[in-house]
Amino acid sequence: MTNLTVVELSRLQFALTALYHFLFVPLTLGLSVILAAIETVYVITGKPIYKDMTQFWGKLFGINFALGVATGLTMEFEFGTNWSMYSHFVGDVFGTPLAIEGLMAFFLESTFVGLMIFGWDRLSRPAHLAVTYLVALGSNLSALWILIANGFMQYPVGARFDPDTMRMQFTSLYDLIFSEDAQAKFVHTSIAGFVSAAMFVMGISAYYLLNKRHRAFAARSFRIAALFGLISTLAVITLGDALGRSDYLLQQTKIAAIEGLWHTTKPPYEPWKLVALPDDATQSDVFSIGLPYVLTPLVTHSFTEPIPGIIELEQEARPKIVNGIQAVLALHDYARTRSPEALAAFRKNEDDMGYGLLAQRYAPGQDLAAITKADLPGVVDRTARATIPNVFVEFWSFRIMMALGFAFLAVFAFAAYFSLRNRLERQPWILWLAMLFIPLPVLASEFGWIVAENGRQPWTVFGWLPTFQSASTHSVGYLLFSLIGFALIYTCFIAAELYLMFKYARIGPATGASETPQPAAGPHSADTSGYAEKPWQ
Amino acid sequence: METFIKFVALALILALALFIAVVAGDDGPWYFAWLVGTTMIVLIAAAGAVLLETQSPSGETGSEF
Amino acid sequence: MELYVALKVIWAFLLGVLLTGLAVMVGMDMGVGTMLRFVGRSDLERRAALNAIGPHWDGNQVWFVLGGGAIFAAFPTLYATSFSTFYVVMILLLFSMILRPLAFEYRSKVDASRWRATWDWAFLVSGAVPMFVFGAAFGNVLQGVGFHFTWDGQYFQDESFIWYLLNPFAILCGLMSVALSLYQGGTMLVMRTEQPIAARAERIAVAGGRIAALLFAIGGIWVSLMKGFVFTAPVDPAMAATPLHGPAVARQAGAWLGNFHAHPALWAIPAAGFLGMIAGSLALRAGFAVLGWWLGALAWVGTIFTVGVAMFPFLMPSTTAPAQSLTVWNASGSAYNLTWMLVFALIFTPAIIAYTGWAFRVMRGRVKTDSIAHDEHSY
Repeated sequence: MTNLTVVELSRLQFALTALYHFLFVPLTLGLSVILAAIETVYVITGKPIYKDMTQFWGKLFGINFALGVATGLTMEFEFGTNWSMYSHFVGDVFGTPLAIEGLMAFFLESTFVGLMIFGWDRLSRPAHLAVTYLVALGSNLSALWILIANGFMQYPVGARFDPDTMRMQFTSLYDLIFSEDAQAKFVHTSIAGFVSAAMFVMGISAYYLLNKRHRAFAARSFRIAALFGLISTLAVITLGDALGRSDYLLQQTKIAAIEGLWHTTKPPYEPWKLVALPDDATQSDVFSIGLPYVLTPLVTHSFTEPIPGIIELEQEARPKIVNGIQAVLALHDYARTRSPEALAAFRKNEDDMGYGLLAQRYAPGQDLAAITKADLPGVVDRTARATIPNVFVEFWSFRIMMALGFAFLAVFAFAAYFSLRNRLERQPWILWLAMLFIPLPVLASEFGWIVAENGRQPWTVFGWLPTFQSASTHSVGYLLFSLIGFALIYTCFIAAELYLMFKYARIGPATGASETPQPAAGPHSADTSGYAEKPWQ
Repeated sequence: METFIKFVALALILALALFIAVVAGDDGPWYFAWLVGTTMIVLIAAAGAVLLETQSPSGETGSEF
Repeated sequence: MELYVALKVIWAFLLGVLLTGLAVMVGMDMGVGTMLRFVGRSDLERRAALNAIGPHWDGNQVWFVLGGGAIFAAFPTLYATSFSTFYVVMILLLFSMILRPLAFEYRSKVDASRWRATWDWAFLVSGAVPMFVFGAAFGNVLQGVGFHFTWDGQYFQDESFIWYLLNPFAILCGLMSVALSLYQGGTMLVMRTEQPIAARAERIAVAGGRIAALLFAIGGIWVSLMKGFVFTAPVDPAMAATPLHGPAVARQAGAWLGNFHAHPALWAIPAAGFLGMIAGSLALRAGFAVLGWWLGALAWVGTIFTVGVAMFPFLMPSTTAPAQSLTVWNASGSAYNLTWMLVFALIFTPAIIAYTGWAFRVMRGRVKTDSIAHDEHSY
């Protein structure tokens, strides 16, 4: 019998370690690409200031990267240590992208990150530029394979459940890679990383401009980051819309929870709820303010298609639950007897098996065989209710993420405009705003993660494996041990990271050299704007 | 000879780019969008910096940089 | 031989290759971490030792990540069951492992002796503990682990975690693993650092090699006497990959020598391991550090493949439900999955070897102790 406390603690631990990991990932994804862009300018113009920029932002990249790697190790092993049933159930298809990620991407990224930091004096300019591009490519390819794996959890394609091995067996690599959900997710997540990194670079540059330090350095960094961030934010909003539409087609319970739709919509009037207080217990809003006519085109990209509501989706789940219970009972029978009759009985309802597994949680003693005729409606009721994710969390996480996204668009637009006009120092408010906004894109990414993964509940593999069945059979003591350990270690880590980030951001780029003009080396460095080569260049 | 090798190498890269574009364009429209979009983002950001180098001193604070 | 069986065997072999790659490359870096406080007496000397592996530790560490990913994909049931049954041990491994990236990146970024001393201790912990756990895992698997499965494939643990950490044979294996990592790390420092660091590293490495050889010999005798596992009924290697309907398995003293008795040529593998440890120490004393490094790698190959060959086809036998023991036949992925993984491995492994080799070539040469102080990129 599954210990629900252990499941909840395992979820808590996974959520905390994943959210923590994701504090550092967006910056790695984006900053590697920004470094490549800056170094491109260095190689094109030959101006040493761009080399200083690459090295300075590269140093901050390194501080962040170390934590991304460290916390990523946890994620790679946590599926096995805490989610044994999940790993057994989908390892054949889910493990593969993780392994390919190591082979194709992480090796690339990690090998070349060493050369990127240590190889300045040992590589030619184009060779070093190529190394930087490979780091950027590697980190984004990493994200690609991880999100292909995540896409499988959201929308399981390319695999089928096999009653002989009791797990999902891989059937199509092509379907897995080109899954609609994986595609939209990767693009949205990767570009969200670009936005985070652009805000990071822009905010720290704004700090220098406000303090009138490293002005040549900061103006250039600000310009690159502002343009980088502006286009990325436009892209991230567009792609978020694509992801929403993909959810509408593939994960209806998620979209219903995001929009707080208790009932199926009536197009075209249906309002888009701007603010509301959804109450999961009563399945209604305490209050809500909406914009009429907006919701239908926003989600469905049409004026006529209805969006299924939560109460209707629960009704739709009921026959699946009844069938699923039959499927699981037949499967258990097949595991014992290996008889073709049992297998045939299972095949009849196999597509609904996941709903049967979900119903186990509400069966007497978690045993489906113990459900009497009298119990059945109650079990089905409670299971149907459980197929819907927490609406309050989903509704508000989504709105916070979205509001932040549009705020970034505004900040980047003004920043890019004033930077292009070279009027930044006359507009301290935009510099202040850029500085204060540094942590917000990462926060938005965290809310995005919550929308995606809370919206997947109650499943680990959507429609196939419920979360409560996925966890390892640990004792509560084990979980407390690891949770307390992670909390202590990760707290020390973030303290050390922030300390170093602030320290190096305050120190700024290698100082002093810019004040003493010297003839510059390099083929194209006609004008160095009073900027000197470093002795180690 | 060296020019020729460079020419062949660039031609191969072009062919690969076209191949990726055709496959990705058909089956992975969003992947394709990412490839094109990221390239564009990098180029525009880089162009912004190059523009800053050429912006005339008549710009309000341009000469100071 | 049926295709699926061939794939299973190939992936069992590749698992061995991965574990060896992990042991050689990550073990080397961890060896350096463990001995850091002893080979470097001053801060600059310690930094020199760190920078000898500085450009490469990150790439090397991917062996560890790749090992996790490959077990997950190629042997899903093994991944699910072993990581969960060894939970407390694995978490200790993780806690110590994750200190290392930060220790590298953060240690020398603050110029305060307490800060740096703290990270030096972190290097010791994050070098010695993971290597000990790595070796102890082999020890535990050789003795069998207490677990069983229910009908739906969920595992249940049947013994206490304290046993996995504290049983004498696992301790022996763990210590041997630490000794070999000290050998490998010391050899790297001999190649890449100046005196007096190199001389100190050489002493530690030679001692590590000798202790490893001694422990390997004791371990060999121990294994030949302990209860191994053996099939008592014929087994179909092409079976569907599930431990739920396994054939009968018995525990017998000396069973782990069965494969060696059947194929005497296999004795070459433990012999190669011995040769690596003993000849490696000699080569190092004679000043052939590069040869010593490769002999160290040979020692790892010999050790890990000795365990693999002795146990084949068992991966993680169960003491409490022997019929549900995990084997190469019943814990692997599907044929489709193993095929695609093989395709990716064949494409990318040569590329990885090529660019890792290139990276080492670019960064070749000794780390100059006095230049570190001026180079702001160094660790």
